[in-house]
Amino acid sequence: MTPGALLLLAAGALMAGIVSGPWFARSWLTFTLAGAIAGLAAALSVLFGAADWEWWSAFSLGGELVHLRLDGVSALFLALLCVVGGAGAVYAREYWSEETYPASAPRGHLWWSGLVLSMGLVLVSSNGLHFLIGWELFTVCAYFLITLDRQRREVRAAGWLYLVASHTGTVFLFAFFSTLAARTGSWDLHPMQDQAALTPLFWLALAGFGVKAGVFPLHVWLPSAHANAPSHVSAILSGVAIKMGIYGIVRFSGWLPVPAEAGGVVIGIGATSALLGIAFAFAQNDLKRLLAYCSVENIGVILIGVGGALLAVTNGDAPWGRLALAGALLHVWNHGAFKALLFFGAGSVLHATGTREMSKLGGLWRTMPWTTGLFLLGSVAVSSLPPLNGFVSEWLVYLGLFDAATSKGTAAWAAMPAAIMLAMAGAIAMASFAKAGAMIFLGSPRTRAAEQAHECGNFMRAPMLALAGVCVVIGLAPILIWPLVTRAVGSWRAVEIAPEVPAPLITLGLVHVALTILVATAAAWLWRKAHATDLRRSPTWDCGYAMPAVRMQYTSASFAGIVSGWFRWVLQPERKLRRPHGNFPAEAIRLERVPETVLERIIGPVSVAIMRGSTSVRRLQHGRLQFYILYLVVGLIGLGVLVMLGGAQ
Amino acid sequence: MNESLNFLIGLAMGLNLLALGSSRLPAVIRAMSLQGMALGLMPLLMEDHFDWRVSLVAVATVAGKGFVIPMLLRRAMRAAQIDREMEPFIGFVPSLLLGAGGTIAAVALARQLPLLPEHAGSLLVPGALASVLTGFVLLIGRAKAISQVCGYLILENGIYLFGLLLIKSTPLLVEAGILLDLTVGVFVIGIIVDRIQRAFDSLDTRKLTTLRE
Repeated sequence: MTPGALLLLAAGALMAGIVSGPWFARSWLTFTLAGAIAGLAAALSVLFGAADWEWWSAFSLGGELVHLRLDGVSALFLALLCVVGGAGAVYAREYWSEETYPASAPRGHLWWSGLVLSMGLVLVSSNGLHFLIGWELFTVCAYFLITLDRQRREVRAAGWLYLVASHTGTVFLFAFFSTLAARTGSWDLHPMQDQAALTPLFWLALAGFGVKAGVFPLHVWLPSAHANAPSHVSAILSGVAIKMGIYGIVRFSGWLPVPAEAGGVVIGIGATSALLGIAFAFAQNDLKRLLAYCSVENIGVILIGVGGALLAVTNGDAPWGRLALAGALLHVWNHGAFKALLFFGAGSVLHATGTREMSKLGGLWRTMPWTTGLFLLGSVAVSSLPPLNGFVSEWLVYLGLFDAATSKGTAAWAAMPAAIMLAMAGAIAMASFAKAGAMIFLGSPRTRAAEQAHECGNFMRAPMLALAGVCVVIGLAPILIWPLVTRAVGSWRAVEIAPEVPAPLITLGLVHVALTILVATAAAWLWRKAHATDLRRSPTWDCGYAMPAVRMQYTSASFAGIVSGWFRWVLQPERKLRRPHGNFPAEAIRLERVPETVLERIIGPVSVAIMRGSTSVRRLQHGRLQFYILYLVVGLIGLGVLVMLGGAQ
Repeated sequence: MNESLNFLIGLAMGLNLLALGSSRLPAVIRAMSLQGMALGLMPLLMEDHFDWRVSLVAVATVAGKGFVIPMLLRRAMRAAQIDREMEPFIGFVPSLLLGAGGTIAAVALARQLPLLPEHAGSLLVPGALASVLTGFVLLIGRAKAISQVCGYLILENGIYLFGLLLIKSTPLLVEAGILLDLTVGVFVIGIIVDRIQRAFDSLDTRKLTTLRE
């Protein structure tokens, strides 16, 4: 079947899912999965085929003819959308089932199918107007998914914040698309690098898509929305929805002429997002907030790659740009897979214990072995450790940056600091996930809820296993997906790049396989040793405490203490400290909270000031007719004076 | 002819000050109605030869502004049982000063305006400006609804004076329409005044602020 027929099938199945969702949960799951599989097949057939799929229809929507296009770039994102969309639907079947949530689960089905469909529309539409329609639909569907559990106050607040931030971004996109349409005379989107007048539009696109992607100062909506949404929604938000921002930046930096400074700016934004995002992640106590801030970091990594590619464009199309872009696009995929896996794991923990706070968890590895194993696999991947997929993509970005740094030219000055900041972010990312894993799964249970945790069922485990499989396959055999990535990179600016696999990638794959075998052998040997019969078991040394209690364990804040100290200038933690005094201290307190610094310290006060200003203007409207007439007279006299002065000139 | 026209306008300007300085509502209504009659006579003076259409306008204006509208207002006043403006926003002496200052400013301003030579000598433009200003002062400075209606009517008289500059090019129908509008407006306001009085037991417009949105 052609991609067009497959896409039609996918759209039909998803629409059937929307219609059947509120009433028939089982047929909804079937339809949504069928839609996801059909969409994935369409994307793969474009990625493995040579030609893009393009369709001009005679049908017009909003006065514009429908023009659809699926090329390498959009197919790569579409494939990710279908994988995460399908996996999330299966996961929701148990995680957000009708039995537990009789009111919101049917609604959730409808919006889920709607979200997948509208994001697909954004990816395939090749007309500015339809792109905006799809974008708006996708924003609204995501809003209703975030606020599924709308009885809770913080969920409603998070939903509002998301909606407001998204629409702020959409304002930029409206400006972008309408200016584009005004300057080119048509809403149709296609490569137009030769029109130099369009260059400044890149900044509008960067701002608009940057809000959705959650780059550092614009990420304010992201942590609360990801933390308060149901976990399968957090997974698709973090795995796919914020990638739509990346898609926009990649798409329009490829189709439009870019300013000379774009590369440096995007690399700078990426490096800042990576480092500060992960610094915030490390300081969090809420598991899902940690994952959300980690998404900011990964968006930063992706943008570093994109920025490298843009830098190469202004440096005479240097080959290292393609390498960096390949890394970025692969990281889009990888982050989608492992972050969805981690959010599913977090959902499993939340499902079992009812809390997201790491200081109330602990010791879950005994009761939840599957979740523990899969979460740890995701942690290894997100920390970019070999032999999993995170390493492959970050390594490609590094290769691009190193080549740029050794090239003679200005590019080195942007690439070198970015590589250093990327390395720092990677180190802190590893520490963050060491902390999360240790707090949640190791040690002793800190609360009763953690003690009574239970393993998740098959519907939740299967999607986690599938995503873990994606992580492992990309990690061990990067050569398998290299053709897909080169196809996407090739259609970015319509340049041919060598389809053969670069030598380092083959070596990397082999090293990963060898490493896996080595680790597996060592693990098997340790396992046998640990289960030997003649082993003597006793408690570990307890530092001389007579009665060790669970509260003596490391807390997440104490684990993160030193590193949070380095970043105190941006984290701005609020602390309350009362030291113990005397030989028999009565009470001592140490509380520390890391606020949403950008939101609470910058955007909050600014909005309060704007509100105050607007409220004071409202005082002019008091209902006294006499004063209204006075305003009129003053206005008239003012206009008269203006006319007299203007006439005098 | 020009002298008698200027005399009538001067009379109207004097009546402005009377309306501003008086606290008794019947006096304000009387000043307003006299002003309306004086203005109604003006088109007759401006025409060199007899024109039945202009005479019709003059008669209608005098009847409307001099008798019908004041009658309606007096009836509303009786129904509401008030005849004094008790608590003006702008006191009577300050209003008077404002009106006098405004009249002087209007004369000064009219000299600066680029007028046609046949209008330059007359008081038409300063009188119009002064009346508009008086109307605004009454509208802004008075609390009772009836005083505000008077202010509105004096404002309208000012606009009518401006209209006289264009009498030769304004069709009869427009004049008649303006007059009809005005009468209906006052009629409606009379009813509203009655309703306000019944609903709130007062005609003080300061108490009508709760419906602002």
